[in-house]
Amino acid sequence: MTGTRWRAGARWRAGARDAALLAPSLAALALLFGGAIIGAARVSLVPLGQGPTLEAWRDLFDDPLFADAVLFTVRTALLSTALAALVALGLALAVRRRGALVRILLALPVPVPHLLVATVAVVWLAPGGLADRALGGLPVTPVRDPAGMGIVLVYVYKEAPFLLLLVLAALGRGHQESDEAAAALGLTPFQRLRWVTWPTVRSPLVVGSIVVLAFALGAFEVPLAVGPSNPPTIAEYAREATQGDLVSGQSTAAAALLLSAVASIALAAIAVRAARDPQGG
Amino acid sequence: MSGHELDCRDLSVSPGDSPVLRGLSLTVPAGSRTALVGPSGAGKTTLLRAISGLQDIDAGEVRLGGEPIHARAVHRRGIAVVFQEPRLLPHIDVQDNVALALRAAGVGRRERRRTAAAQLEEVGLGGLADRRVQGLSGGEQQRVALARALCANPRLLLLDEPLTALDPSRRAALRRVIVELQQQRRLTTVIVTHDRSEAAELGQRIALMLEGLIVQHGEPRTLFERPVSAAVARFFGVSNLIPSGAETLAIRPEHVRLEREGGRRGIVVEAVYAGDHVRVVVECGGQRLRAHVPPPDAPRVGEQIGVILPSEHVWPLPAATSRPEVTGSSAAPRVTL
Amino acid sequence: MAALLASAPLLALVVRAFADEWRAPALVPQQLGLRGVQIAFSGSSAEAFGNSLLVAVATAMVALVLAWPAARVLGERRLRHPAPVFLLLAMPLLVPSYAVGTGLTEWFIRLGLDGTLPALVAGHLTFVLPYVVLVLLSGFGPRLTALEEVARVNGLSPFRRLLWVTLPAAAPTVGASALIGFLVSWSDYGTSLALGGGRPMLPVVLLPFVGADPQVAATLALLFLAPAVGVLAAATRAGRMPL
Repeated sequence: MTGTRWRAGARWRAGARDAALLAPSLAALALLFGGAIIGAARVSLVPLGQGPTLEAWRDLFDDPLFADAVLFTVRTALLSTALAALVALGLALAVRRRGALVRILLALPVPVPHLLVATVAVVWLAPGGLADRALGGLPVTPVRDPAGMGIVLVYVYKEAPFLLLLVLAALGRGHQESDEAAAALGLTPFQRLRWVTWPTVRSPLVVGSIVVLAFALGAFEVPLAVGPSNPPTIAEYAREATQGDLVSGQSTAAAALLLSAVASIALAAIAVRAARDPQGG
Repeated sequence: MSGHELDCRDLSVSPGDSPVLRGLSLTVPAGSRTALVGPSGAGKTTLLRAISGLQDIDAGEVRLGGEPIHARAVHRRGIAVVFQEPRLLPHIDVQDNVALALRAAGVGRRERRRTAAAQLEEVGLGGLADRRVQGLSGGEQQRVALARALCANPRLLLLDEPLTALDPSRRAALRRVIVELQQQRRLTTVIVTHDRSEAAELGQRIALMLEGLIVQHGEPRTLFERPVSAAVARFFGVSNLIPSGAETLAIRPEHVRLEREGGRRGIVVEAVYAGDHVRVVVECGGQRLRAHVPPPDAPRVGEQIGVILPSEHVWPLPAATSRPEVTGSSAAPRVTL
Repeated sequence: MAALLASAPLLALVVRAFADEWRAPALVPQQLGLRGVQIAFSGSSAEAFGNSLLVAVATAMVALVLAWPAARVLGERRLRHPAPVFLLLAMPLLVPSYAVGTGLTEWFIRLGLDGTLPALVAGHLTFVLPYVVLVLLSGFGPRLTALEEVARVNGLSPFRRLLWVTLPAAAPTVGASALIGFLVSWSDYGTSLALGGGRPMLPVVLLPFVGADPQVAATLALLFLAPAVGVLAAATRAGRMPL
């Protein structure tokens, strides 16, 4: 009886200690992130020096340019993420047995800032850029093209190595052993790819892709540097709004950004659910 | 479902550049069980990997049931392997792991489940079919791995130290399962172990591997009592190697008798209690002889004692020959001491 | 060969930075010079470099201190229901950094902190902290706990245990998470733009030059790349990647 109570007390104390250890970072995050979201919601609903109004939201949904921005942003982000994931998967299968040097070379773009990759892309691929000069004219012009090919290119170059690292890390843990065991049981290379390799890499690939997708949906240094001026991405649209009307512009920008945040979170939730399907391969 | 003869001829294998197998030959008769023993680093695992195709060979050939198979891809050899670690797939349940080979062969779901359930029953895990792999103990996981290998209906079964990761009681139980199932199916089987007594229990025959070659292959008793060389003798615990003229005489310590009177006289220099016997070392005419005697009869250190080497147990090692594989046993020659 | 191929795009950046005149369609610059360097190291660009460095270092340090206890609890799997904690950690990574910056600006203006370095550090912390926690937690677990138990049995005080056992054993992960924290803050554009309030930050200063003056853009880009190169050099020497 006393033993049980003592044990319950000890467990409670351990729980309290863990909570105390988690508190600093979780409190900081809750304050900053919660504050940011509440702040943005407030700006979108209560323009400076005015009472609460839904005007900013109404403006947003009435603006055809915003609809274009949403479509353009989602399209380039999904395309970038899907291509990056495919490239990462292909590279992973090609180099999984290779040494550290190949992996380090392939991982080179990971610590490089996005804006830097965009700058390099402009130096090489812009009209009159180095590739243009070297080849005497490019078949397509990916920089500032209305389809956003430059954006996709920069994201794939930057994010495929990131996803590759995640996939290779998953393949490092006992995968070769399982693969050998499956081969000895008579599974063909294709069957092993489907039943052994894919289930191993699926969840890190999905988690990484969610991070990539969210970034591509929200960041705007790359579209600003290599994207077309029209249509804009959602973030660019918000940026332009703040430079217009000083009061209502801020509200519209905040509304647009909040919408983008909600969309990212919703997409992430859907992706996580889809990945949970046990026989999804 | 009976097995096929395994025949390895002049295998040379160099994983990671340095040669591990140097022209190794080994024949395992159809439906028989050979235990492959040797110290770590001898190349046992490399040999299994070469036979199963997980390791490329530089030279030689592997035949199974008469056909050469060394050029075939791993999954086309009809060889199942049980590894030291269970290597089960974590994302599917026990029965799907067991039936993996059937799924690969395109067998329908219902048939797969039925076969897997029957196979699990045979390895003593009936009722665990729907469990997740992670929840199983090490011994259970290794049984699932065995069931999975048998479910592939292989022509040859290779087991690479399947018992090493288990504690002694589970080890004995799984050993029995392996022997029983092998006998029922008459499946040609090679089991790697580094433990000589486990080899004696598991193998109908034992193959000893030293430095990339099979140095002796025969019935357990032959290797324990009629070793072909000093190295084989030492591996199997024949700790008395007595130079006698041009030849060397070998006798196992448990065959050495100690008598209060008579025999070759010597002084006990060491007596260590080891549970079921006492290990005694007797200094005798400049030589140290080792004997294992029952605890009640054990002499004390410093005591004078007589050593008797029964002639039926004394085995003169054949003069150094280079021919590695020697099978069978010759009659014990007459020995006079 | 592969190394050459990987570095070719960046080498072009170096040439571009020192080419005072490089008109199409020439493949070689007409005139080399230091015009880009002069502009990049004068006025707001130089200040921006300092600001970005200061903010990134401060953010990484603060994040490391806050993350350490949390990473310990999560890495040792002490929680029975860790999912809500991970959800909270994941949230800031899913939201545009410009949205975070815009939302926080609202409060910082009221607090009079708008455009200050602490405000920028706080803003970056929102998404740097989750990254640092997620990387740092991989350093904790049974292996480290076992070493600490050895230290305990040998009578080391908690402080010495931390200094002699825990920190050295966790050093690679601590280093990796600090570097990632630094790089995430250093590379950030959206929050810096929203919270900067006129205070120049390197990416914000760099971007307009990409279209307007490629030479200055290339020079600033090389500055922007410097820490990443340092990271790669360190990682290659350590024989492993930080991620």
